[in-house]
Amino acid sequence: MKLKLHKNGVIILLIAGCLLPVFLTSCNEEVVDFDANNCKKNPPFVKTMGFNASNSFFSTSDVKTMGLLLLQSDQPGNPNARITKTYQHPSWKKGGWLAPILVDDAGNIFTSPAPFINILNNPIVNNNTIYRVDGKTGVMEEFMRLPFADSINTQNPYGIIGMVYLCETGTLYVSSVAGSRLHEENGHIYAIDLKSKKIIDQITHIDAMGMGITYTTGKRQLFFGNGRNSDIKSVVLDAEGKFSGSPEFAFTLANLGQRGDDKVRRIRSDQTGNLMVHGIEFNFNLIAPREKQETVYKFVYDEETKKWTLSL
Amino acid sequence: MYNYPLNLTTIALVDIKQQKVISTFSQQQTQPEIPLHLKNLAIKIAINSPEVQEAYGIKPSEKDALMASTKTSLNRTRCERSRHLCVAPTFVKDGKALWAIIDLTDHKLVGVRWTNVGTTGPASPMITERRLQDDKLTACFCEKETPLEKYGWKLNYMLTSSDGLRIAQVSYNGKPILQSAKLVDWHVSYSGTDGFGYSDAVGCPYFSQAAVIAFEPPKIMEIKDEAGNFTGFAMEQVFRSEQWPTPCNYNYRQRFEFYKDGRFRIAAASIGRGCGNEGTYRPVFRIAFAAEQNNFAEWTGANWTNWSTEKWQLQSATTAYTEGKYQYQVTDNNGNGFLMQPGNGNFGDGGRGDNAYVYVTQSKPAVDEGEADLVTIGPCCNTDYRQGPEKFMEPSPDNIQNKKLVVWYVAQLKNDDTKGREYCWAESVLEHGVYVTRAYPCFAGPMFVPTSKNK
Repeated sequence: MKLKLHKNGVIILLIAGCLLPVFLTSCNEEVVDFDANNCKKNPPFVKTMGFNASNSFFSTSDVKTMGLLLLQSDQPGNPNARITKTYQHPSWKKGGWLAPILVDDAGNIFTSPAPFINILNNPIVNNNTIYRVDGKTGVMEEFMRLPFADSINTQNPYGIIGMVYLCETGTLYVSSVAGSRLHEENGHIYAIDLKSKKIIDQITHIDAMGMGITYTTGKRQLFFGNGRNSDIKSVVLDAEGKFSGSPEFAFTLANLGQRGDDKVRRIRSDQTGNLMVHGIEFNFNLIAPREKQETVYKFVYDEETKKWTLSL
Repeated sequence: MYNYPLNLTTIALVDIKQQKVISTFSQQQTQPEIPLHLKNLAIKIAINSPEVQEAYGIKPSEKDALMASTKTSLNRTRCERSRHLCVAPTFVKDGKALWAIIDLTDHKLVGVRWTNVGTTGPASPMITERRLQDDKLTACFCEKETPLEKYGWKLNYMLTSSDGLRIAQVSYNGKPILQSAKLVDWHVSYSGTDGFGYSDAVGCPYFSQAAVIAFEPPKIMEIKDEAGNFTGFAMEQVFRSEQWPTPCNYNYRQRFEFYKDGRFRIAAASIGRGCGNEGTYRPVFRIAFAAEQNNFAEWTGANWTNWSTEKWQLQSATTAYTEGKYQYQVTDNNGNGFLMQPGNGNFGDGGRGDNAYVYVTQSKPAVDEGEADLVTIGPCCNTDYRQGPEKFMEPSPDNIQNKKLVVWYVAQLKNDDTKGREYCWAESVLEHGVYVTRAYPCFAGPMFVPTSKNK
């Protein structure tokens, strides 16, 4: 846990008090240093496969190839650049069509299934499965299955949607909408300790989508978009990576952009702590992703108003 | 200056003294401020539309319209599907605001919606074309069945998660005919790229397994013969992608026809445009008959021969038909039932023949083999009989004699973009200042004609 001396003297005293174990549990004003939370390591197997690590990336969004793909382009960072090399380990198809990709500080890749156009290769029963590609060997294996909601329904073809990693604690946060229905919000956000493979905390009855972590406000905060509206909420994370308090409204994408009702596909925190929010149309159906245009919204924290504001 | 077909605004900087244009620039997907004459037009359309009057209780006056110049695309409500110029005259009554979205490109009302009014004005988020359409469909057709009674026919219909528009409990003059009928899948394969294509389900817009969704409610229309006499009615449902008819977007039409004389037809069409001109569309129909004891027979050229076990067959150039163009019959032990006429370019809807696979399976009371909403049952690109229904008959086909039967019908429709021969195709053309869509549907599906032992 990193503690920071705050400008405000009163807070300093409070924080000093927090150092005493006897007060620790009653203290909820922990102030933490800024951290870019960027610890992902290139998977070692990429190099052994003959790929140039700086020009390579992983993808789950190729419309003709199911599963995970390793690609090398001639212009890193340019999505339209020419692809010079591709690779797919035979095990990378075992989860069907996949969606989130998360690389941890050991170079292991975490991903999960998400249907593409239909569920032929994505049985709903597998929607809450996390797969792990070993950073050394490149072999994908089932990492763990998250609990399923009471019943599987044909209304909602989705399960795990978002993943984000807290470097400080080695905690993987996974959002899943499995089991949710039109009138029942049954989704979860799970906090999973990667070392012990255990769920250490969870938020229930919430259909969260893309997530991001930032330390900008002097707190360790998880931001997540709501799958049912365009709001983004945040919840404070404690030093163990558990949720501290209840999620609170942070800001919204409602009425922004071309569509005005975007949902959050992904939230990325840049090096200065601004939030880059990727918005798409999403209505819990299987409309082809190519029909969904994406808009990236940049939100900046205003220290004076203590609010996140859209940066134009 | 607003360009309606392109949804584009051009701004010109003019030197009035010199009477010269100094510069111009255009912005895509941008709309200018609404001039007074369009504001007045929007109000007139709104207050004279029956939907607004019904929702408001009385015909509102022009001065009741607030915010008529609130341009939807800039002020956070939009016609995002049509990409038309829309405004939203708003009528406040009893602490609520009635939004009437008016399409100023097509000069029509898109829809109405009540919202709560806070102390500072109508609540956000504002109402948009898509929200209006999706919410209405969900509440009225995805969450409940609608009964329909006409010309002796009685049935319930609803939109499903992934099986299109489903009709159920269909009877004619009091006699049960169908347990249900629906459109399970559309398999689309492109021969230009091996194994490339999509398996699309059609259905509801929210919380569904549909890849192509319904925008508008099902339409019910009269059927007339060549002499103009009403002979029956049809129910049609359109499912489409937002960007249709641009490439790799789809439009599917489902159609049920019911005739006064007891005939009925289960049909569907693709209206393109898809990802290429080498596409084959394979709609998968599931037609479950109501009778507890039926037999299925094929015309062999000389007589009717019953199928004893679950089986499939392909309609081909050598298929034998009766004089009336019937290929199969579904009848009870008394010989009462229906003759089945496959698509052969004989229904006057532009269809060129179905080249259909027909499967017959037993409807088992203890096992659900597709009566409930069915997930995608087949892949995009199988070119043989393996379109999905075979799963319910392999490896051990069941007896289908004197059983409750399900007929699966999978038409095969090859698209064509050749000028003058377009089929399963669509294109956008500029006509009189607006883009219009030219659609070339390829209808498929069998007709069922009543038969009895006496006949």
